[in-house]
Amino acid sequence: MTVLASEHGRGVVHEVIQPGRLKSVTRRPPLGEYVAQLSARRHFVLADARGRVISGTRGTYLGTLWLILQPLLDGAVYYVIFGLLLGVSRGIDNFVGYLLIGVFLFHYTSRSLNRGAQSLIGGRNLIKAFAFPRAALPLATVAREAIALLPVIGVLLVLVLALPPTEAVTWRWLLLPLVLVLQSGFNLGLALIAARATARIPDLQHVIGFGIRFWLYGSAVFFSYDQFVDHPTLLRVLELNPMFVVLDMARDLLLYATLPDIGSWAVLLGWTVIVLGGGFVFFWRGEESYGGA
Amino acid sequence: MAEPELQPFWERHDDPVTVAVSDVHVRYRVASTDRSRKATSRPARIANRLLGREPVEIVRALAGISLVARAGESVGLVGLNGSGKSTLLRIIAGLETPMRGEVLASSTPVLLGVNAALLPELSGAQNVHLGCLAMGMSPAEARAALPEIVALADIGRAIHLPMKTYSSGMGARLRFAIAVAADPHILLIDEALATGDAAFRERSEQKMDELRSHAGTVFLVSHAAKTVEEECTRALWLHKGRLVLDGPAFEVAQKYRWWAWNLAKGETDKAAGLLEDAFRSGHDTQVHFPDPLPVKGPPRHARRT
Repeated sequence: MTVLASEHGRGVVHEVIQPGRLKSVTRRPPLGEYVAQLSARRHFVLADARGRVISGTRGTYLGTLWLILQPLLDGAVYYVIFGLLLGVSRGIDNFVGYLLIGVFLFHYTSRSLNRGAQSLIGGRNLIKAFAFPRAALPLATVAREAIALLPVIGVLLVLVLALPPTEAVTWRWLLLPLVLVLQSGFNLGLALIAARATARIPDLQHVIGFGIRFWLYGSAVFFSYDQFVDHPTLLRVLELNPMFVVLDMARDLLLYATLPDIGSWAVLLGWTVIVLGGGFVFFWRGEESYGGA
Repeated sequence: MAEPELQPFWERHDDPVTVAVSDVHVRYRVASTDRSRKATSRPARIANRLLGREPVEIVRALAGISLVARAGESVGLVGLNGSGKSTLLRIIAGLETPMRGEVLASSTPVLLGVNAALLPELSGAQNVHLGCLAMGMSPAEARAALPEIVALADIGRAIHLPMKTYSSGMGARLRFAIAVAADPHILLIDEALATGDAAFRERSEQKMDELRSHAGTVFLVSHAAKTVEEECTRALWLHKGRLVLDGPAFEVAQKYRWWAWNLAKGETDKAAGLLEDAFRSGHDTQVHFPDPLPVKGPPRHARRT
């Protein structure tokens, strides 16, 4: 055996790896393969999401009932403050329905963003134990929120039908799922961006909360823009806010029996495509960095 | 530079390569309570104090590790605490990314760690299901694998209790059972066997042999060199992130134990000498990967005039 001497005076063994059979475990796969791997783990994502829906309320007396109670109480708080005390309900048709749609749907996005930001930090055990595309974690977080949204939507529809002024069911209600699907895609994009950002800079966890609160007050959740904004250009800009568009479209469909105009659909679709596509690529590019400590 | 030639160093060199590690370097930035270090500037230290941050220290966990493992090998890693054994396993598993270097593997390695508590709120059975899905099984496969996992782990009724109520031994047994359920070709074990009782050890050793006989490769980290001597065909001795020795398990483990024994007895000079001798008698590995870039035209050395 001919052994060449290394700089330490030790022998050097040369190993030549034949091409083809071995794959890198340290480099992220190309985007297409990454998507394929992720879709192969769809059962894992669903099981993880379902497990989290249940474990989130475990140990409480009312259990999964809190999935509905929490947004309802949220809505009640805002109703008392904004509807009764501050009186911003003037000029809004069916303020209760307006408020409930605002609170419930905004809650879905804000929780997706918040939990998504913590998904990599909270999933550290799984990351350290198994090799899977890490995008599965923020995806499972948003899936969990989507599952938790379903009973909330049920309650929302019942309340809209039951509380005065009662609304009638129209065929336009059938378009609500489409709005929710677009919102979910938007949420996933946000969760992916926030997950990578907080994994790199943990301090952002604290900043995101403030950002969400600012966004809440700026999205016409419990009042309408028309009451406070006179400037037409400013109003135009505010109306590009994706959350405003989601809430406005849902209210049109459920409360006002009108079809949202094509501009709203275009704005929401645009936001979803940009945030989801950009967020996914952004997350994928950081794939190798999520394992560290 | 001379053309690198294939050096048959191992008697099993004909077997296909399953894991190739090339010049892997890992550094960690970790918080340190050692305030005596004057490496940071005075303003930085004051800022750290005011913000309640701990000073950061750079720890070199691995400093240029290269090795090649083949089908049917079981490779033991020995070394003191903090020598980089567990880090190397996590790197091979692809769970962490090295600062420099490359790891190739023939299939997805499965790491069996001590610390992973999975989802502590969920029961053992639910964690088994989730773990199987995370490794890429379908729900039907995961359900089919459950009885075998439960039998191998053998933790009785506890399988239905939340995993946070488990003793460390029970958790380790369940994780071992989950990891081998996927029938991985490359299994990385981090000190798991130490936690079981005699009966479990026997079953897990049997399972490891089974894996290796299916042309798999097993990596095993253990503080106890004796375990490596008994279980492995080959051993790596790591010291401060460097590879001291790489060779037949018995030889390496004997040398390591003799060194560690001297160290424990306070014979520091003798131990240092032994370490140096061992290091000199060892060898370095250089791994040559195929050029990943597509070569236009015939390679230069093959061109004829």
